[in-house]
Amino acid sequence: MSDAAVTLTKDRQKLELTALSAPAVLFTVGMIAFPVIYTVWLSFQSFSSTGQQSFAGVANYTRLVSDHEFWNGLWVTFALYVLSLVLQLFFGIWLALVLFHAKRLPGIVRSLFISPFMMPPVVAGMMWLVILDPSLGAANYILTSLGLPPSDWLASPTWVIPTIALIDTWQWAPYVALIVLGGLQSLPPSVYEAAQIDGASPFKTFQRITLPLLLPTIVTATILRSVDLLRFFDIIYITTQGGPGNASNTLNIYGFRVGFEFFNIGYAAALMLTLTAIVFGAVLAFNRLRNAVAW
Amino acid sequence: MADNRMDDRAIRILNTIQLVIASFIILAPVVWMVLSSFKPSFEVTAYPPTLVFSPTIENYRQLMQTTPFFSYAVNSLIVTIGSSGLGLIFGIPAAFAVSWTRISWPAILTLAARMAPGTLFLLPWYVMFRQVDLIGSYTALILSHAVITLPIVIWILLPSFDNIPRSVFEAAQVDGCSVTRILWRIALPLVGSGIAVAAILAFVFSWNYFLFALVLSNGDTKTLIAAAFNFVGEGSTSWGGLMAAATLIALPPLVLAALVQRWLVSGLTLGAVKG
Repeated sequence: MSDAAVTLTKDRQKLELTALSAPAVLFTVGMIAFPVIYTVWLSFQSFSSTGQQSFAGVANYTRLVSDHEFWNGLWVTFALYVLSLVLQLFFGIWLALVLFHAKRLPGIVRSLFISPFMMPPVVAGMMWLVILDPSLGAANYILTSLGLPPSDWLASPTWVIPTIALIDTWQWAPYVALIVLGGLQSLPPSVYEAAQIDGASPFKTFQRITLPLLLPTIVTATILRSVDLLRFFDIIYITTQGGPGNASNTLNIYGFRVGFEFFNIGYAAALMLTLTAIVFGAVLAFNRLRNAVAW
Repeated sequence: MADNRMDDRAIRILNTIQLVIASFIILAPVVWMVLSSFKPSFEVTAYPPTLVFSPTIENYRQLMQTTPFFSYAVNSLIVTIGSSGLGLIFGIPAAFAVSWTRISWPAILTLAARMAPGTLFLLPWYVMFRQVDLIGSYTALILSHAVITLPIVIWILLPSFDNIPRSVFEAAQVDGCSVTRILWRIALPLVGSGIAVAAILAFVFSWNYFLFALVLSNGDTKTLIAAAFNFVGEGSTSWGGLMAAATLIALPPLVLAALVQRWLVSGLTLGAVKG
């Protein structure tokens, strides 16, 4: 082939590859990139009750600072995030160890473990709403049968956050478990054997050897869960819509209601951009952490 | 030595007990949901709750009679299949091009949807779709749900395409095959199982997605998940009906997920873990 012919095929190839990714890129630009830029513009607009739009400068952002619903939302988002994450990592790692030490895992067990996070979060919310009903629910029946005091669960301003964290943990701890199980299965078996020969107790082996080697996997699970937990929406909206009062009014729920219940699109845009910055900040921070614990 | 074996057995039994407890915690609420859906209306709210009852399909019959459940289900199917199809049509060639060129920004760009809160997109979409009068249309719903399905398809297929030895493509190129032809004739048949997993996960996550349909659908195009919000409002009067609806809505994703459970984990972590 002559040089010119080679360049021609190279050019043609490049063109074809561009054409192959073009639909996805155009779609993403149209549905994600452009709308996000538009949201930034919207966040500098104010919308009157009649739908009239006018330039508002940074008013929507200064309003954030003095809006105590925003600070409440930030606190609720943070509390729910930390509580859910800790619970899911704890139970997830425990489940992973149990699954890892089971001699064999029939497909039915695996199907069982994926079913909570494959069912719609909305359905999980409906299901627990009935189980956790303060007066007629099965959960309180079990508690009182055991001689424990019943709880108001989702109807209690104090318990609503822990309750939602528990529901989400029921749904996603098995997911964390399957990720950690993947990490466990990829560890070299020689590590354990050496520790066993040295007479290390199972607990010591876990603490000193397994856990440090698993850290990168655990951070990966943390990133994947953080992204969802900071944007927590479905289960809250179906069960409490942010209540009782504003006790479960996360930033995402608050932003949604400001936008689509009060139609204050500009302020909702400012709220959502703030939340997005928090999520991306968390992902970047954890990504650094993952590089730090990589081996 | 004998001591050691006793230890091993004790540990194994302890482990099995923990596995049973874990399975029970996972399964019990789901069983309760399904049981409640088959209870006669006076028994659903019985206190103390009953485990033994004469099952009835009355709740399901009522659900079908008093709500347009069937048309909601059809809406869900239209939106889910439409958005999964769109995700596959856009995602397959894009994943192939990214794998070939190692230029990954198009794939990373689609991930933005996985990280940003849905409301961030919903606000501008609402304004934009209203201007072109698409609020409540299947088009708006399918386009918005494709934002969920596209990254799933791309990130599941990327490792599959990466796994094909480059020599296979080079040989085809020498024979004068164009890149597009290589994708359709050679690469695609080699990643069949990846495409099946991508299609099923796209279906599941599109079916399960709540937020967009809440705002972008109307009475005629409402999906099952968005309608669930109304069921909860009416559920205070009928728990049996609510649990029947919950059971039916959860059924398609659970059945599909069980079909591909073996390959699911690596797909769900977007390739972060080789499961």
